[in-house]
Amino acid sequence: MKAYLSVFRMRLRMETQYRGAVLGGVVCQIFFGLILIAVYRALYAGKPQSLPLAHVTTYVWLQQAFFRMLLSSDAELMDKVRTGGIAYDLCRPVHLYGFYYARILAQKLMGSLLRALPMLVFAALLPEGWGIALPASVPALALSLAALLLGLCCVCAMENITMAFTMRTLDPRGFQAMLNLLMMILSGSLLPLTLYPDSWQWVITLLPYAQMLDAPIRLYTGEYALPQAPGVLLLQGGWTAVLILTGMMLWKRNQRRLIIQGG
Amino acid sequence: MSYIHVEHLSKSFQIRKKREQGKLLREKQTIRALEDVSFEIEQGELIGYIGPNGAGKSTTVKILSGILTPDGGEALVGGRIPWRNRKEYVQHIGVVFGQRMQLWWDVPILESYSLLRDIYRVPETAYQKRLGELTEALNLGELLRTPLRQLSLGQRMRAELCGSLLHQPEILFLDEPTIGLDAVSKLALRDFLRWENREHRTTILLTTHDMEDIAALCARVMVLGHGRKLYDGSLQELLHRYDRTRTVDIRYDADGILPTLPDSVAVQREGDGLRLTYQPEKLATAELLALLQQAGPIREMTVQPQNIDHLIADMYREMGL
Repeated sequence: MKAYLSVFRMRLRMETQYRGAVLGGVVCQIFFGLILIAVYRALYAGKPQSLPLAHVTTYVWLQQAFFRMLLSSDAELMDKVRTGGIAYDLCRPVHLYGFYYARILAQKLMGSLLRALPMLVFAALLPEGWGIALPASVPALALSLAALLLGLCCVCAMENITMAFTMRTLDPRGFQAMLNLLMMILSGSLLPLTLYPDSWQWVITLLPYAQMLDAPIRLYTGEYALPQAPGVLLLQGGWTAVLILTGMMLWKRNQRRLIIQGG
Repeated sequence: MSYIHVEHLSKSFQIRKKREQGKLLREKQTIRALEDVSFEIEQGELIGYIGPNGAGKSTTVKILSGILTPDGGEALVGGRIPWRNRKEYVQHIGVVFGQRMQLWWDVPILESYSLLRDIYRVPETAYQKRLGELTEALNLGELLRTPLRQLSLGQRMRAELCGSLLHQPEILFLDEPTIGLDAVSKLALRDFLRWENREHRTTILLTTHDMEDIAALCARVMVLGHGRKLYDGSLQELLHRYDRTRTVDIRYDADGILPTLPDSVAVQREGDGLRLTYQPEKLATAELLALLQQAGPIREMTVQPQNIDHLIADMYREMGL
């Protein structure tokens, strides 16, 4: 167990070293947030939508704040898989899936926390109609935090599956671009999932992508009422378990047919 | 039984060839990386494993370190089968892949070592003792708090080596550890390997293209070519078998003197002197000397054995590699 904790801590520390990247990320995501909100404000001014504007701005800020959790991968890890540096990890007395899971978890956790905190402070200072609203209630906040944690576990499991595929194709770029697009659309990063038509909602909220950030945000804004919360958390947990098991299976199969190329 | 026991080991890979013109599908080609390779290695041996690129050296190392599963044959290292129970097995081995990195790029190397300590579950006191010993032997003391990215290639290789030995493995697989190192780093690395081998009786299997490494370290070498073992024995004997030519550089007092020599001696002008290549088996050195002296007074002269790299190249050529 110590090995996994240790690699987790190591990756956390590494993430804190790139302060320039954090600053750059914060500025970039704030910029994106402001632009998106300006667009929604224009849209609402022309034709008011069913959803209150404050919900949309809150949704946008939370998405932007935790952008790093969804759409970023451990470049060093990907490189290792691509170039064969993974040979070293195969000679370690550790469970490879767990070892990488701990690493990905640390990167996503620290990477998004470092960016989310300053951004949320910034968004809270903005005037109404631009900034982030308070959570629906204190229990709603607590539940959304729990859901965020589950969402994080879910993303990490997904990322580990991507890694397992990278090991087969050796070049992650093609399908990573495709997966990222899927992620952008289906996680609500591009357009809040709450704005999709009602007839879509039941499908789109059941997919794994909705478990990552959309579910915690809806708990925060009160879109999901408190009595719905257990069901939401259960769905999140279910998907996380499924994705982890799938990833483990893929890694196991990979290990069996593994060839590290070149000298 | 010996420490490493390998019998009839074979492994082939399927690769896809480039699509030929006029054909719809790419053809598959089977590459036999290892064919029926057998050998025994005793505990505490320091063995050189050589062969041209693509001979199957790395494949052997990967099989013995539990990364690859062979298609056929047996292998036992310290009584364990490498590809069974991978997690338990790798606890006892150390590996250095000269072209890859195991330490973390952006963090001080000491932290990478702590991670390795936790991965191999090395007790703290044993870890401190071993770390102290290795940092001294590898002269790493001042570098421990430096991030890997700031180290030179030679320093990095020493740091990598330390990382592979922290858990005191019984055997160390070295895959081209001196690649790209300068002379000083190479010598230091060799000294260290000799020390580790003597001090802890660590078995070392050294894969390299650097014949100087082999000559300096290994009493025994195995030569691999096209996936087969071609030679297994002392380096001296191997050299003796292929070391058939000598080079003589000679300069006479007067310019333009050309001795009369049999056809078996190759003559070449080199600056204001001559370079002769002859085979002592065909023409005894004493006879050659006599012929050279007949031609006129000799100003200076050196006799050199063949360069070891040339020799190995000749050997590979003769073995059809």
